Amino acid sequence: MNRWFAVSACGEVPHGAVAHTQLLGQELVLWRSASGALNAWENRCPHRGVRLTLGDCVGEELRCQYHAWRFATGSGHCTHIPAHPGQKPASNIRARVYPVFEDGAFIWVNLAHDAVPPNAAAAPPGLALRSIFTRAPVAAVTGQLLHGYADHAVCLVDEFTLDVAPAAHRSVRFMLQPVTGEQCILHAHLHGEVTALERLSVLKVHNALMSAVRDRAEAARA
Amino acid sequence: MIRLYDYELSGNCYKVRLLLHLLGVAFTARTMDFHPGREHKSEWFLKLNPLGQLPVIDDDGLVLRDAQAILVYLASRYDASGHWYPRHDAVALGEISQWLGFADALTATAGAARLHDTMFMDADIRKCRAGAHGLLRILDEHLWFAEQAGRPWLCSADHPTIADLACFPYVMLSEEGGISRLPYPAIRRWGERIKHLPGFTPMSGIFPAAAVRSPAGSPPTPG
Repeated sequence: MNRWFAVSACGEVPHGAVAHTQLLGQELVLWRSASGALNAWENRCPHRGVRLTLGDCVGEELRCQYHAWRFATGSGHCTHIPAHPGQKPASNIRARVYPVFEDGAFIWVNLAHDAVPPNAAAAPPGLALRSIFTRAPVAAVTGQLLHGYADHAVCLVDEFTLDVAPAAHRSVRFMLQPVTGEQCILHAHLHGEVTALERLSVLKVHNALMSAVRDRAEAARA
Repeated sequence: MIRLYDYELSGNCYKVRLLLHLLGVAFTARTMDFHPGREHKSEWFLKLNPLGQLPVIDDDGLVLRDAQAILVYLASRYDASGHWYPRHDAVALGEISQWLGFADALTATAGAARLHDTMFMDADIRKCRAGAHGLLRILDEHLWFAEQAGRPWLCSADHPTIADLACFPYVMLSEEGGISRLPYPAIRRWGERIKHLPGFTPMSGIFPAAAVRSPAGSPPTPG
C-alpha cells in the first residue's frame, strides 16, 4: 500500500534510541543515530534473520545482537562483520530500508519502497498526545470515535484520519496506525497553543479520553 | 560473605545478583538445579526455605527468602548512598513498596508464562499472558507520564531504587513467555536506562547495552 502512516511521535525515538513497531503486519525497527538521522527498517537482520530491535545503536550504525554485524544509517548497508574484520562487506548485504520522514511532531513511514516524502510536510504547532495501542482493528476505533469524543462531533477525513474540535481554540487530529488486522495504534496531535503550566494536565485528560475509546473498541470486539 | 542460593535463569535470582553487582558487594553463589532437578523442593533446601522458592541468601547466618525482601535488606545494609532504598523517606518507601507488590504480580503472570513456555510448568497460559499485558499497560502509562514530568525511574526520586530492579527482570523476559512488548515503548526506554547503569550485569535473555554510551536512555524531549 502506497500510503504514509504516522508510526510514532518524534520525541519517542530520541537520539541513539531503537524502537519497535509494526505496520500492516510488517515489523519495523525505528532507530535514530547518535547524530539524529532517523531510520525505519524491516525488523530483521539480513544475516540470520534475528530481530534488529534486539540490537543497539552504535554511533551512526545499528548493531545486530546476534553476530554484531553493523548496518549504516540511511542506506542500511552492512559496514562491519566482526568475524571478518579485514574484509569490506559485500554491497548486497543490506537491511531492508523503508521510506521515512518526520514532520516535527510525528514519524511517518510508507511501505512502498519508491515512495518520496511529501514536500513542506511541517505539522502545525501543537502537542503530540500519548499514543494508545489498541487490541482492535482500525475500523473498530474509528467507529467508537465517530460516536463522539468528550461529547464533541468527530469527522472522518479518510479511512485512517479523524478530526475533532473540543474547544474553540483547539482541535485534535487522530491518526490510526494499522499494526495488524486485529490491532492498531491511535496517535493524536493537538493543534493550538498549550502553556507549559497546563501541558501535563492536557496530556492526562486526553490520555484518559483516548484510553476510554480503546477500552470501548476492545470491549466491542470481546 | 553473602551466599546466594541461585538459579541462573530465574528472574528473581537475577534481580538479587543485579543489585549486588550495582552495589559492588562480593558474594558466592550456590547454583541450584531448579529444572529439571527440582532441587528447590529437596529436603535439605526446604529446611532453609519451607516455601521451596528461590532465591535465598545467607549473610553470615542471617537467612532470608523472597527476592523483594532480600533487595530491601541488601540495599539497607550495604548501600552507603541510601539511594536504592531511602529508608528515611516516607514517600519513597511507600512508592517502593507499591512497586515491590507489582513485581510479585509480574512474577505470577509474565514469570509464570515464561516457565510454562520454557520449562513446561503447568499454568493457564492465556490467563497469565492477559494478566501480564494488563500490568505492562499500567507500567507503560506510568513510565510515559513519569518521562513527561522529567522523571526517568519508577518512583519519584531522581535516581533508581530497588523498585526498578524488582520489576525489571520479568518485564524484560516477557517475550520468552509469548508476551510481546511492542505495545509498550516507554517500558523499552526505561529498560535501556537500567541497562546503562554503571555496574549493570546481564542474564541469559537480557542483553547488555552497547559498550559505546549512547543517550538512548534520556527521556524524550517534550512535544
